[in-house]
Formats: sequence, structure tokens, C-alpha cells
Amino acid sequence: MKKLLTVILLTISGLSRFTATNAQSTEKQATVKVSGEVITPLEIKLTDLQQFPQTEVVRKERDGKDHTYSGVILATILQKAGVTLGKDLRGENLTKYVKVEASDGYQVIFALAELDEDFTDRTIILAIQVDGNPLAAGDGPFRIIVQDEKKPARCIKQVTAIKIEFAK
Amino acid sequence: MGVVLLSGWSYWFSGVETGPYQFVYPANFGNRINIPPDNPTTKQGVYLGRMLFYEKMLSLTNTISCSGCHQQAKAFTDGMTLSKGVDDVLSSRNAMSLTNLLWTRKFFWDGRAASLEEQAVFPLTNPHEMGQMLDVSAHKLSETNEYPALFKLVFGDDKITPDRVAKALAQFERTLISCNSKYDQYLKDTYKPTQEELNGMALFMNGPDPEKGIRGGNCAHCHGGVKNYMELFHNNGLDSIPKDVGIEALTGLSSDKGRFKAPTLRNIALTAPYMHDGRFKTLNEVVDHYSDHIEESASLSSFIRGESNDKGGKSLNLRPQEKKELIAFLNMLTDSTFIADPRFSDPHLSTSLNKTKNTSK
Repeated sequence: MKKLLTVILLTISGLSRFTATNAQSTEKQATVKVSGEVITPLEIKLTDLQQFPQTEVVRKERDGKDHTYSGVILATILQKAGVTLGKDLRGENLTKYVKVEASDGYQVIFALAELDEDFTDRTIILAIQVDGNPLAAGDGPFRIIVQDEKKPARCIKQVTAIKIEFAK
Repeated sequence: MGVVLLSGWSYWFSGVETGPYQFVYPANFGNRINIPPDNPTTKQGVYLGRMLFYEKMLSLTNTISCSGCHQQAKAFTDGMTLSKGVDDVLSSRNAMSLTNLLWTRKFFWDGRAASLEEQAVFPLTNPHEMGQMLDVSAHKLSETNEYPALFKLVFGDDKITPDRVAKALAQFERTLISCNSKYDQYLKDTYKPTQEELNGMALFMNGPDPEKGIRGGNCAHCHGGVKNYMELFHNNGLDSIPKDVGIEALTGLSSDKGRFKAPTLRNIALTAPYMHDGRFKTLNEVVDHYSDHIEESASLSSFIRGESNDKGGKSLNLRPQEKKELIAFLNMLTDSTFIADPRFSDPHLSTSLNKTKNTSK
């Protein structure tokens, strides 16, 4: 029994060391790559996103409660990459879509026009916080939040890449 | 389109059909297929690829072909926990089933290759698998009587290059389509499942929701869809501290620790043992794992963590009867025509039979 206890204690101390290492900034950080039909490809870190104006979107989650997500309007990020939004979102550019990929390989798309404020008042953000806290490990560090969308399926978690493409 | 006779070789086969290869598959499989523009599929290319798939010359010791670890009768797996290569050293991961690769976009347990052409190079050259540099393989093939003519038929001239070997193999592998399981037949309305299979199907498709009294195994979250494959990569709670860190080794991200492909469940009853390290011998063990033995860790899939059929429960806690039903459904995914399809079998066997016939004349 004593031996077992020692093992458990060792395991716990081992775990806490592990956590401590995790918290250090030396560990590789997740990023979001923005590529495809862009002028400037981007690789965005959490600290980069914190430099942008933050927008809040409230969504009801599976627990039935409203949660306040905050992050950067997706169109703002795409504009920084030189994607054809605003006055440039016309003609063939209306056949562009935005493919968002998660670290588990899950993919969803938005028509580019779904993201443009000249087309819609619905806000789509790349969230980095929920209720004032960083997103949970399984959800973040980056998650798309689509305002008022009934199903959560496009509120894609653990986003790693955003690619703008022409529909063929 | 036509049939070309290869002189000097035609003594053991009458000819090779040529022309574009038409893939045949159900409409509900969808057309999001993965064929690189520089390797269109042709009948002659598929023929050559099949010859190469079963060609032992592609290994350092002339003893192992792709089919060593990918045997048709086992839905192109080998029944081994890990597989022995030319140096008798075990592979680091379990041999994967080759099925419906036409739709696959990320190959291997860690998804590291984006095409079959890219994928093929690894097992061919890995010292613990077939262990032979591709230029050596190309050279060996070029010294045979038959292969230069076949490469000419497929690629326009008789040069044999590493790139062409991989391309031909990829063409054949794309034809390995499984679409005639009982589940496919059920979707086409030509098979009526038993009550046990139907119960298993419901458990497979449903996420558990004890508040609403819905019981489920939540399997379809990662293995759903008509192909039973969704190309997702998750940590499925095998170990709290995994020996093999999976995708983390590629990305360096701790959130990818212990993350592997959620593979197709096509022919799953034929492809034991299971998991990336082949740790589970039977489907019973697999279902027990997901039901009762999930190991917590920071990178555990959020599709798995906290999912339970009991209010406040920590694991799925399926009942013995439900486990049986789930396995009955998994057996519906077996495609017996796929594993017996003569188009996928060893062409060297039939040709050596022909040889025997010819010499006895």
C-alpha cells in the first residue's frame, strides 16, 4: 500500500512538472495559416490576434446557456491578407469560398460573401476567448463562432488553417 | 481504347487493355476524389500498378511485395500486430487497410502524405519494410523482359523511374473500391438488417444523451458517412502518456499528442488487430475500450471526453447486449465481394498458372 502511494505521489509530481513545462513559452504555439487567393499569406499567432480590435458574439452552447465569445472578425483578418472583400467582392470574386480547417482534419466552408459586412450583418469571428477566459484546450486556441447559426457545426474548433479558393 | 499485345511477353498473357479507367462507385460516395492531375488513371496504368503491387523485386531481398502487409483476403491488411520487413525488424505501426483510397486525402496513421504517389515511397524504401531505394527498384525492373514494354505502354517510353513506379502503384490502389457491404445494400434498400443490426446501427450513429434517454456509442462522429470514413485525427484515449505520440511528432504541438487517424471501418471485422499499434485483438476489445477504458489526457478528443450513457457518468458504459449489437453492425461493413474481386488479386499467380499450362502443351 505504501509502495502504491509512493507511485501515485511520484506520478503526481511528474505530472506537475509536465504542466510546468507546458506553461513555458518555449513550447511550440499553435498558429492559423491564411493562404490561397490572398496577396499576403499570413501565419497568425495568438499574440497577433490580440493586436486586432476584439468583437464579442454571444452563442448558446450545448449546456443550454449563453456564452460570450470574443475574437477578431474573420473579414478583418482576411483583409489584412489582401482578400477581395468590400468593393472588390464582385464579379468572379463572388465564386470564392473560405475553407477553414481544424487540427483534427475537419473542414467547413463559407462563401466569401457570407463574411462581408456589405452583404450581411451576421458576425463571424475567429474567437480566442469565451466568457473572458482562453478557450478550452479541446476548443482552442482558435475557434470560429458564427452568430445566430442554428447548428454549431461550422463553429469549427482548434482552427489551424484558412484557405481562400475559387470554386472550380 | 483497345488491347495491346506485348511481343516477347505475350506468351503468358494475351494482352493489356488500354484507355481511360472508369471508376465505378455508388453516387452516394460523392465525387470528392483525389487524383493528381499528372497521373490520370488508365487501364494499362492500373494493370502495371497491380503487377508492381505484387512484385517482390521491389524489396531489397526480393522476398516482400506490397501485398506482404496488404493481403486482399484481409481487406489488404496482414493480421499482424506489427509487420516484419526485409531486416526482420517490426514496423512501428499496424499495417493499414487499403480501401476506398480514391477519396483519401491524408495517408498513414498520422496523415503525413497527401497522395498515394507520395505515400508509396515510404514503405518501399523504409529499411524495416521493403528497404530498397527506388532507383535500385527501377533498375531491377528495367533488366526484366516484361516491365520496360509495360512502362512504355503506360508512360509513352520504356524508361523506368522511381516516379513512374509510384504513379503506377497509386493508379492500382485507387481502384480498390469497396461498396458492396450489407451496409451499402441497406442504403440501397436491397438488404433488410436484422433487429440486432438495426439496434447496433442506432448505437453507432447516436451520441449518448441520458437526459433525453438516448443511448449511443457516438461512433459516427468520427466513423460516420456512407464510406465509414471522415478523415479525422483524434486522440482516442488509449494511453494517458502515449509511447507513440502520433501527429505531435510532425507538428510539435502538445494538442496533437497521441493523435492518429480515425480509420475507415470498412471491412473492420477482417482487419484485426486494431489501433495504430495493433494492441486490440478483437472487436470486443475495441468496443470495451471505447465503452469502459478511456484514458484521460490533455489531448484526449473532446468527442470522447465526458460522453456517457449515464447521467454524470465518466464513460460510455454500454451494456453487454449493446456491445453485441454494435459488433453486429460492424459486421455489416464487411464486403465479401471486395476481398474476392479477381481484379485486385495477384496477377503473377494467374500468369504462372498460364506458364505451366503453356509448357505442358
